[in-house]
Amino acid sequence: MANENILIIGAGPTGLEAAKGIADLGYKVILAEKRDKMGGTPMSAGYAALTPDMRDAGEAMDEMCAAVENNPDIKIMMNTEITGSTGEPGNFMVKANSNGSDVEIEVGSVIIATGFSHFDPGRETQKYGYYEHDDVITIVDAEKLLKAGTFVRPSTGEKPKRVAFIQCVGSRDRQIGNEYCSKVCCGITSKQAIEVRELLPGCKVFIFYIDMRMYGYWENEIYWPAQEKHKVNYIKGMATEIIKKGDSLIVKGEDTTMRRPMEIPMDMVILAVGMEPSEGTKKVADIFGVKKNKFGFIETIGGALNTVGTNVDGVFAAGACTGPSDLEDCISAAGAAAMKSISSVRKAGIPA
Amino acid sequence: MMALDLRQNKHADVSFEEKERLFEEVKSDARWEFVLNGCYECGICVAACPSARFYDFSPRVIAQAVAREDADLVYTLMSDSIWDCSQCFSCDRCPRQNSPGQIITIMREVAVKNGLQTAKKALEGYGRIIYKIMSTGSQVSPDMLQPDAFPDWGTHVYEIAENLEVWRKALPPETLHTTETGWKIDKKTIIELYLIWHMTGVMDLIEGVDEGLFMILVDVMEERLEEAGYDDVTFD
Amino acid sequence: MLHLPITKASDRHFKIDPNDAPVKDLREELFQLEKEGELEVIRVPDNHVELMTKYGRMKKIPIDKTWHHKSCGQCGHIPGYSTSIFWLNRQFGLDYYDPTDQTSCTAWNYYASATSNPEAQAAVAVRNFAAAHEVGYFPLIHCGTSFGHYKEVRHALIHQHDLRRKVKKIMERLGKKLVLPEEVVHYSEWVLAMKDRIAERQVVDMSNITATVHPACHYHKLIEEDAIYDSEIYGAQRTAIVTGTLEALGINVADYSTWFDCCGFGFRHILVSRDFSRSFSVQRKIEVMKEEANPDVTVTHDTGCVTTLDQSQFAGRAHNRKVGIPVMADSQMAALAMGAHPYKVLQLHWHNTDNKPFLRKIGIDVEKVWGEFQAECDKIKSGEKNFMTWEDADK
Repeated sequence: MANENILIIGAGPTGLEAAKGIADLGYKVILAEKRDKMGGTPMSAGYAALTPDMRDAGEAMDEMCAAVENNPDIKIMMNTEITGSTGEPGNFMVKANSNGSDVEIEVGSVIIATGFSHFDPGRETQKYGYYEHDDVITIVDAEKLLKAGTFVRPSTGEKPKRVAFIQCVGSRDRQIGNEYCSKVCCGITSKQAIEVRELLPGCKVFIFYIDMRMYGYWENEIYWPAQEKHKVNYIKGMATEIIKKGDSLIVKGEDTTMRRPMEIPMDMVILAVGMEPSEGTKKVADIFGVKKNKFGFIETIGGALNTVGTNVDGVFAAGACTGPSDLEDCISAAGAAAMKSISSVRKAGIPA
Repeated sequence: MMALDLRQNKHADVSFEEKERLFEEVKSDARWEFVLNGCYECGICVAACPSARFYDFSPRVIAQAVAREDADLVYTLMSDSIWDCSQCFSCDRCPRQNSPGQIITIMREVAVKNGLQTAKKALEGYGRIIYKIMSTGSQVSPDMLQPDAFPDWGTHVYEIAENLEVWRKALPPETLHTTETGWKIDKKTIIELYLIWHMTGVMDLIEGVDEGLFMILVDVMEERLEEAGYDDVTFD
Repeated sequence: MLHLPITKASDRHFKIDPNDAPVKDLREELFQLEKEGELEVIRVPDNHVELMTKYGRMKKIPIDKTWHHKSCGQCGHIPGYSTSIFWLNRQFGLDYYDPTDQTSCTAWNYYASATSNPEAQAAVAVRNFAAAHEVGYFPLIHCGTSFGHYKEVRHALIHQHDLRRKVKKIMERLGKKLVLPEEVVHYSEWVLAMKDRIAERQVVDMSNITATVHPACHYHKLIEEDAIYDSEIYGAQRTAIVTGTLEALGINVADYSTWFDCCGFGFRHILVSRDFSRSFSVQRKIEVMKEEANPDVTVTHDTGCVTTLDQSQFAGRAHNRKVGIPVMADSQMAALAMGAHPYKVLQLHWHNTDNKPFLRKIGIDVEKVWGEFQAECDKIKSGEKNFMTWEDADK
């Protein structure tokens, strides 16, 4: 006899979407969140606008949170960390520490939605000086500045006249070990570039890249307008060093179009840091015996035809805990996980 | 400083089979698996490269040429470009973990081994250094500080050359009281060095680059080897 | 006061987690090969200090029982460099070995002309290591080029078993074992490990001195995991070598925008394509240092770098470029701080760019000390003495 409750670990966009979906289909959800706020990384990192539709991130997350709050079929447990698990599909006994006390949760299936962390630029192979120069920031920092409406140089508090983005920071790099592409950074950078150009029309914006990756509609909704409407300068050629010269930062790279090294002064440099599995993802995977890939993300089985199943029956993984994902991926995967977690419970036997 | 001409068939006088053979030699080096993966033309190697700022030189073009298996282009680069590299290995920053600098080291070795005319030309004027290192086990010596050897180092070199003998004796470390070598080296040590050259075939490389130098070196080395009791060790 | 929702660099702290290291500790494979009888490892002596490397691994730096692997360029053209390293060891009463059973690493020739091959290069390296092991000492490498090259050789011998087999046979023919040291250690790492002890014995005040640092490419760019990093220095984003030593001596280390650039040595270029080395070192290094930092001295830790930066400035001056920064090695600076004689020990008369203003700035009576050195030379000229001894140098 299966337990009808379904445990969702992580109340970010993926977890929130899955919770609502499962509740709408008439099953009970236990939504466990480590932090004291829901909304995942978009909330905790203070994202400004979502890619690609430019909708306010805070507003979008509030909407998702509202859909699960005060829902009689969704039990929300904040400040809750999973500590252990035993059992099988239909009857999992999950141990957790909730607000300081140890509790046990009986559920029929589990969805892991523990998300990602942003790459720490101190581990970057190139010499970008994030820990040395005030005016070198990450796209995460840039979101916070854009959200506050004050896009200024941290060193002087003045508006920048020249801003550069550097792509692939912590991704596509064999020396660091993150050989994959983080998927979203080209789009996020281009979105931020548009926001900067709108906020500061007198500021020139450059993007240094290896390849520009904006798939599907992101190409025509973000990339083309960035170039055509907002005059963002895309330069094919990567940078290797950022170092201070007088009042500016010098970005050393190659302009491959011109086939020569270039060293150009910038007021601010924004590093497009990639995605890595969060600490929570790695811990929770180990607790459930779920296989991780060599990068530490949860490995989904079945290739292209099964994006949420893991090697453990009854345990599913959705969103950025399985690898670099954009928001659309997360929402879609949440739906797939909701569907499969319910059918897992039903297959194990519905209570009379 | 010549502009790098990357046209197809620039060295039309050399057969394509020969170019392919040389490229195969490069690729069959034991280090090849460690020095070339793939290249996505990011340009980080060029961005870090000192030679790229002075010569029309591009480690990215070299990595691309070998990755594309373009034997024509590789031969052109082996003739016209590889000697511009300063072997600093700033390009080891490559995110794909290629090493354009080491690719060039291997290409240089193949060029020298095959006695390419361009290799000989690149090493013109370098002969006395090869002589010094091969025969004495010390690359530069005090008595090489002569004004005609380093004219752009200025008048200071005159002062050194004049005072060389006394100044070398005015050095506290015992081993540095030398002028023909950097430090005092045991005879036995030099013999061991000659045996290493003999066993690794290095002298053949020198013969391919500068025959005259080779003959002088061989005379000196075989004489000392004989004195040390190795009369069976010859270099031809 | 503008309050921003993000941190400034001074509030950002980079934590190195050795578990995140993208490379394995090579010593694991080294000891495994030793177990299998493929080679023998020279262990770091008991008297050693541990310093952190780029990815958090602790590197063992021997303090005594060191076998000094000398540098051709130093011993040949700037002998005060080698002398200062020995002097420091003697000041601390350390047991060190200055061998005559040592050849050049031959790497300068290798990178310049490629008239060699991996077997020869590895055999030369191992022959030197074996010589150190035979007398019971641990190799300490004086030159940056040798250091970089020996790291390469170690990597090749560990990963290419064909090469290892060939080199072992060569060693057998010479009656030697195939040995590799547990760590490849550069003398500047020894100086850095000793910096606090050196600072304790500092007698020359250098707090009014501004210096720029030039890190050698082959030290921190080639097999970068072996270079020393420190959370307190550059936030562990750049190697701490040399900078750490100078800061311990109270010197103000000034930054400049071409810090990461090569000096322009080029191996082959400094001998046969000299316009490259001259132009590069003057325009990319010296002029930038002068314009942005205006240092009293520039300090580096490699033979080729000292040579290139020092000697190129003459041509620069002839072309009215803004040059004129004296060049010294970190060991010379450390020795000077401890009261070593500028000419009898540092042998500054072999250096080209004028260093007298720098010496005067730290309170040295240049004419007096030059006179003392000349007096020693006179004794040699007259035949009263054969050589200047260590005792003469410290009088």
